[in-house]
This record gives sequence, C-alpha cells and structure tokens, in this order.
Amino acid sequence: MEFPIIVASVIVVSLYVNLGIALYGIFARPSLVKKLLAITILSDTANAFAVLVGYRWPRTGTPQPPVLMNTTNYNESIKYYVEHAVDPLPQALVLTAIVIGLAVTLFIAFIIIQYYRLHGTVDVRKTKALSR
Amino acid sequence: MVTGNLISIGIIPLLLTLAAFVIPLLSLIIKEKLFYHMYALVFGIIALTYTILNFYLVNIVYGKPIAYFFGGWIAPIGIVYVVDGLSSVLGLLVGIDMLFIIIYSIWYMWREEGIEWYYTLLLLLEASMIGIVYTGDMFNLFVMIELLAISAYGLVAFYRNKKEAIEATIKYSLIGATATTMFFLSIVFLYGTYGTVNMADLAVKARSPWICEVFSEACKFFSAISGTSYGNPVLATAIAIAFALWAFTFKAAIFPNHFWLPDAHPEAPTPVSAALSGLVVKMGAYATLRVLYTVFGLNTLIDIPAGAGLSLRDVLAYIVLILGAVSAIAGSLVMIIQNDIKRILAYSTIAHLGLVFMGIGAVMHGSSKAVVSAAVTAVVFHIINHSFGKSLAFMVSGAYIKATGTRNILELRGVGRLMPITSTALVLSLLHLLGVPPFGGFFSKLLLFNALMMSGQIVFAIILVLSAAISMLGYMRVIVNILVPPRPSKYIGIIREHIVPSTLFIILIAIITSIGILSIVGGIAYLENIVGSTGWIDGIRNYINSVISFYASIK
Repeated sequence: MEFPIIVASVIVVSLYVNLGIALYGIFARPSLVKKLLAITILSDTANAFAVLVGYRWPRTGTPQPPVLMNTTNYNESIKYYVEHAVDPLPQALVLTAIVIGLAVTLFIAFIIIQYYRLHGTVDVRKTKALSR
Repeated sequence: MVTGNLISIGIIPLLLTLAAFVIPLLSLIIKEKLFYHMYALVFGIIALTYTILNFYLVNIVYGKPIAYFFGGWIAPIGIVYVVDGLSSVLGLLVGIDMLFIIIYSIWYMWREEGIEWYYTLLLLLEASMIGIVYTGDMFNLFVMIELLAISAYGLVAFYRNKKEAIEATIKYSLIGATATTMFFLSIVFLYGTYGTVNMADLAVKARSPWICEVFSEACKFFSAISGTSYGNPVLATAIAIAFALWAFTFKAAIFPNHFWLPDAHPEAPTPVSAALSGLVVKMGAYATLRVLYTVFGLNTLIDIPAGAGLSLRDVLAYIVLILGAVSAIAGSLVMIIQNDIKRILAYSTIAHLGLVFMGIGAVMHGSSKAVVSAAVTAVVFHIINHSFGKSLAFMVSGAYIKATGTRNILELRGVGRLMPITSTALVLSLLHLLGVPPFGGFFSKLLLFNALMMSGQIVFAIILVLSAAISMLGYMRVIVNILVPPRPSKYIGIIREHIVPSTLFIILIAIITSIGILSIVGGIAYLENIVGSTGWIDGIRNYINSVISFYASIK
C-alpha cells in the first residue's frame, strides 16, 4: 500500500475510536464533568473529520495551505494552487463549529456549576429531583 | 420576472439577532422593566410583518419560491435563503405564534427579575426558528439549530435556583449537544461526497442521472461550480441521513429521544413552555420533511429498490413511521397517569409529534403525486393546528398556575369554575387537540389518516385513531378535575381573571375555531395548493430554479 493511504486509514480508524470513546463517556460516565469532557472530545473528533475531508495529497510535491502565495505570474500560480492547495471550505465550517461549540461548552459548564451549588455533587446517580 | 435577492427574507434573522444582542447593552443604561416588554413586542410585530410580506410575495405576487443571497454570492458558494410555499407557511406560523407568546410574556413575566436576559433569549429563539424554516443551506441549518438549541437551553434554565429546572436543562443540553454534533458530522459526510452543502445543489446531485435530461440547466450550473459526486454516494448519504435523523428526532422529541421533553417543557416559564411545545419541536419535523422530501426525496439515488422491493429511503421512511407510532402510543399512555398539568400537556406534545412523523413517513417508493401532496398537506396542517392548540393550552395552564401557585390537577379541583373565560379556553383547546369536529384538530387528523390510508399503511392509520382514543382519557381527566368539582372555598373572591390573558385566549379560540370552519369551506385545498408540491418534481424544480435564476439575472 502507498504511504498516504496507510496514514489516512490510521487517522480514520483512530477518529472512529475517538468517536466511540466520546459516546461512551457521554452516556455511561456518572460524573457531569466527565460527560462535558466527552462532549468536547466528540466535537473535536467531528472537526478533525471535517479537516480530513478537505485534506488532499497531491501527486507531486506537498500540500499547500489554501492561500494564493504568488501573485506575479497568475496562470502558473493558479495552476499550482489548484493542484496543491487543500480545500478551504471545511476549515471555514470547522471555525464556525468551534465557535458554536465554545458557546455550548461554556453554557453546560455553567449549568454544571449551578448543579453543584444546588446539590453539592456532580454525580448524576446521587441526585434525582425530578420524579417520573 | 426575476425573483432573486429579496431582502425581506434575509433581514428577519439578522434583525432579530441584532435586536437580541443589543438588549444586554441597553440593560446597563435602562432599568425600567416596561421598556424591555415593549421592545420585544415591537420586534415581534416587525418579524410578523416580514413573515406576512414573504407569505404574500411567495403565494400571491410571484406564485413560486423566492430567494435571498447573503452578500450577493451565487448559490453553492454563498449562503442562500429560499422561501417556498412550505417555508412561507411555517414562517408565518412562527411569526404569529411568537407574537402571542411575547404578549403573554408581558403579563406573565411582568415583575420577574432578569427580564432583559429572558427577552434576549426569546428573540434569539424566534430568529433561529425563522432561520431554520427559510434556509437553503445545510450548514446554515446546523448553525440555526445550534442557535435554537442554546437559546432553548437558556430559557429552560431561567429559574436557575430550582433544582428541577437545572436537572432538566442538564438532560436537555448534554444529549442535545451530542445530537447536534452528530448533525455536523453528517454535513461533513455530505460535503465529502457531494462537494457542496447547498440544499438545491444536493437535491440536483442526488437525482443526478435523470434530472440532467429534464432540467439540464440546473445540472450544468451546479456541476460547473461544485463538480460531481465522489466515492460511494449511496453509502455516505445513508450514514449522513442516519446521523441527521438523530438530531432531528431529538429536536422533535420522538421516541427514543423524547426523555428530555417531559422534564424540560414543564420546568421552563409558562410562555416558554408554549413556545417550546408550540414551535421549537416542530423545527425537527420541518428539517426531517426538508431532508426526506426536497433534498433526498423520491427517485433520488437512495430511492432505488433493493432487497425485498424496499429502497434505502423506504427503510428510513419505515423507521420514521415506526418511531412516530411508538411516540404517539407511548405519549398518550403516559399522559393518562400524570398529575402535573404542564407535564400532561408535554406528553401530549410527544404524542402529536409522533402523529406528525407518521405523516412524514407515509411516502414510500412509487408513491403517486396525490399521496405526496396529501402527506405534506396533512403534516403541515397538523403542525399548524397543534401549534395554536398547544400554545393556548399552555397559556391557560399558566393562568391557573399564576392564580393558585400549583401545577397539580388534584389541587386545582374546581378552580376552573372561578375563571370562566380561562376554563372555556381550556376546554376548547383540549377538544381541539383531541380532534373534535368543529375545530381544526379534527380535520388535520382526518387528513393524516387519509394520507396513511392512501399510501397503504393501514396498521399505522389504525394506530393514529388508537392514539387519539387513548389520549382522550388524559384530556378528559384534566377537564373533569378542574371543572366538575364544587368551587374551592379558599379561592373564592381571591382569584380574578386578568384582561390581557383573557383577550389572548379569546383571540386564540377564534383562530382555532376559524381554522376548523375554513377547512370546511376550502382552506385545505388552498393549503394543498401552497405546500402540496413540496417533494414532487415540479415543486423541487421551482425550488432549484429560484436558486439558479439569480446568476442569470446578474450575468
């Protein structure tokens, strides 16, 4: 197998393992703080997936950031850019997702602090205010 | 006539978001509570005006979908908002219902502390809902769903010193954040496969081989910008829709993702309960409708029959049908044994959303145009009916709670006799939700039943009737407990009805009654004329056309 394919497979497999760990943390760990950590792992995994989707391994040379470096010789530089640059759109999506994730994480962290103030613990097994 | 770039579409979410974020700044200067009530009321009226304008433009002036391109970027490159018949109807519904909720908030939250934060979140909620129904871009849908989610979490946690409210918020926000992250992952899969996140572009690429023959300009336009699909599109689409459906069913509180709703809706302030039950859960149903009808609808690459004559889309439709049926039955059953009036209404919401999802799942491979049209009309009509009915029911429960300070129907025995207008509204709204003939609720349930029968799902049609029959026990229990016993002596002379909620109740009673009367004299045919083509090729063609025609107009 070629080297890029091996690297890509390793990355994809490890991302799936990460996904599994995050979901286990969210659903099975009793501590709310651990759940919050698992959520950040989950959103980071999703963001890494997005970056991976936009990444590409050019036939020759190394990949380039999506910035047009050379503006003197348009035809040459645009040709080089199209062949070597990674896809910028997933990176823009990831930026937006990170900002949203920050807001959600902050909110949940505040709610966990408030939970701790009211109950004196962050263990969901020990507290049950709501009856079913 | 060129329909591109109408600012009246794009301005609503931007204006409301701006208005919401100005409030915390104003709160440094202005301490008068009345100002914030009036501020929210003004922006509620402005938003309603624009949604009416969009409804008028789509259905009366142009007669076809209209679009707004943010920053003037053409479709698959920039964000586009598309308003077709379905979006215009639901946008109008959001505008009307949120105005009622803001007026009700003025009465209910009159002396509450922290009212400026409350209205910040409420205006953000309205902005995000209008964004969801108007957007034509998958990633923007994700952003708007996150905005909706975080403002809803904040509103549920409004009484932040109550243990129950914080616990409900924890349940709602932890799993909600997980579900929306999964939706982001699904967008990543879609982008990796199709090279686009635009809904019209995805709709063209998903119908790729045959649509190029009947509608070649769309195919040419989109493939020039975003290329063709890559890898194994069927598998990637299946994974993407599976992830997306988790987020949508979570938002819509469909079994097994219903667990947060009976805790979160009752613990929120009552106007927020009305907004959450009346509108927010409908956004999950709308997103499912959009994805399973417009984007990956009939005759797409996932709608090719495979084993046992079922296509992949049929499997998804069956999943939606079965989950909807389980929600409808379970919601109705659990509703009977509850004593908390707001919790009863919350379980009733789960049952009704189950009915809506059964309507969404009624369309299978090979369904005729009549079935698609009937299903979409029934779903939209039921969403409208349930929205008004449930908002009214929650507002009524808020009036009882404000008068007595309890939510337990056993402690509210006989209180209804002291509040005649409120109790009339309670009885009529519950009859409307139950589906008694003069009201709209009957006609939408009838339409759902017809749609299920037309598509051959007789078992699910019976489940629909069964769910209505079971839920009757729950509704009757509320009415019997609140109205039948004698007047409780400790409340006589203390409880009186306030003018603001009573007027609102009378207006909403008039609305639910007139929906019923209008549906007898041709309202259903009018609605079907507006939303019926969603999911069928002529409607999708108009949808795509509104997106690509802008480029021709600026070229």
